[in-house]
Amino acid sequence: MLVQEAVQEHAAAAAEGAAEKFNAGKTIIEHVSNSGHDHPLIRLPHVLGIDFSVTKHVLMLWLVAAFVFVVVTWTVRRYLKQDRPLPTGFMNALEAVVEFVRDAIVQPNVGKKWVNTWTPLVLTLFVFILCANGIGLIPVFETIGLLDHFVLHTAEDSFLKHVMHGGTTATANFNVTAALATITFFAIIVAGSRAHGAIKHWVNMVPHGLAWPLYIILIPIEVMGMFVRPFALTMRLAANMTGGHIAILAILSFVFLFTEMAGRAIVGIGVGAVVSVPLAVGISGLEIIVVLVQAYVFALLSAVFIGMAIHVHH
Amino acid sequence: MDNPLVQPDPGLFIWTIVTFLVLLTLLAKFAWGPLLQALESRHALIKKSLDDAQQAKQELERLQQESAQIIKTARVEAEAIVSRSRSDGERLREEMKQKARSDAEGIVRNAERQIQLETARAVQQIRREAVDLSVMIASKIIGRNLSKADNESLIEEALKQIETPRH
Repeated sequence: MLVQEAVQEHAAAAAEGAAEKFNAGKTIIEHVSNSGHDHPLIRLPHVLGIDFSVTKHVLMLWLVAAFVFVVVTWTVRRYLKQDRPLPTGFMNALEAVVEFVRDAIVQPNVGKKWVNTWTPLVLTLFVFILCANGIGLIPVFETIGLLDHFVLHTAEDSFLKHVMHGGTTATANFNVTAALATITFFAIIVAGSRAHGAIKHWVNMVPHGLAWPLYIILIPIEVMGMFVRPFALTMRLAANMTGGHIAILAILSFVFLFTEMAGRAIVGIGVGAVVSVPLAVGISGLEIIVVLVQAYVFALLSAVFIGMAIHVHH
Repeated sequence: MDNPLVQPDPGLFIWTIVTFLVLLTLLAKFAWGPLLQALESRHALIKKSLDDAQQAKQELERLQQESAQIIKTARVEAEAIVSRSRSDGERLREEMKQKARSDAEGIVRNAERQIQLETARAVQQIRREAVDLSVMIASKIIGRNLSKADNESLIEEALKQIETPRH
């Protein structure tokens, strides 16, 4: 993947020609950020001043959602069609994930009574984030870009060229993670309201039976806490998903920076072979762990917050 | 704030929520719900199977104990039957022997009595013959026939004399 990325970078740089200087920062930002609204994949009208055009990250969300839905539903349906409930093949892995989320994430936090209510949400969060994170590691679009550059030669404003703009990791975009955190935010309120009633949930947010002046301090703190939790979820996931990609891209930029500095491609390729590619491979390995851990952390914290609304401890 | 990494994008925000909620609804309906239910029912099935196995094992143990008990009883009974039939046989043989012996004794005794009777009758007959002969011989010697009355009284006398010394 990284070699392909490097080659593509090199090809892109070569295509632009020596006249334009290589700007590492600009290239990296372009590779991790969403495609701009000035050239969306599908242009849609503004509604209430909001641009609903389909950008690359919207496309990625749809691809991930479709992938998750098809794979999970197909696996589960095939499993349930059997006369005897014997899990085979991928169903074993899926079952392990489902039981892990149910027994290790949801149940310890929300308790036995609500486990079946909240497991689907936390499971969907976990699987969706995991796949969105994971697809960001696979250079699908870089490969398509290479193919386009060397084989297909599509027109400058073709759909393929548009798809090439922007990063592939939707969960590296804080708008996406903020939306997911918003889901958790409302899930917390729904969980508290369902467990204690619509009014009792808000009363539960502060401890009972304190001297009244304390509430003047406590209520604003608790209200802030209510918003800080999803904000932390938002930033943690987006920053983690962006960070690794930036590190990989920065290290791969050495190839072009050294090429420019020395004025000879062989120097850049040498640096790439000796330093950039091994380091980037190492960081990619680390990224696989980060991808898993961040999906787990998001799901776990969502379950913890939902559990806190159900089991009020002060 | 023209860094594209920190551009607020309400469209993407709303698309994410919509996409996620649609995915959640579809998965909950078609995958998670049935799967969680299936996992629970399988859990129950496994628990039931284990319980059944445990029960079957206990039942088997009970049956084994029972059959061992039955075999033991049967063996004891068989032994009793054998020993009883052996003693029965013994007794029967003893009885038969006893009977045979007593039969044989009876036969012998009968034979002895028969012999005695026959002997006595023979002796009687011999005696009578002897008397007749003696009378005939005596009358020839004497030369005259004694009167009938004399004769008879003589015979009686002689017989008495003969019989008396024998007893």
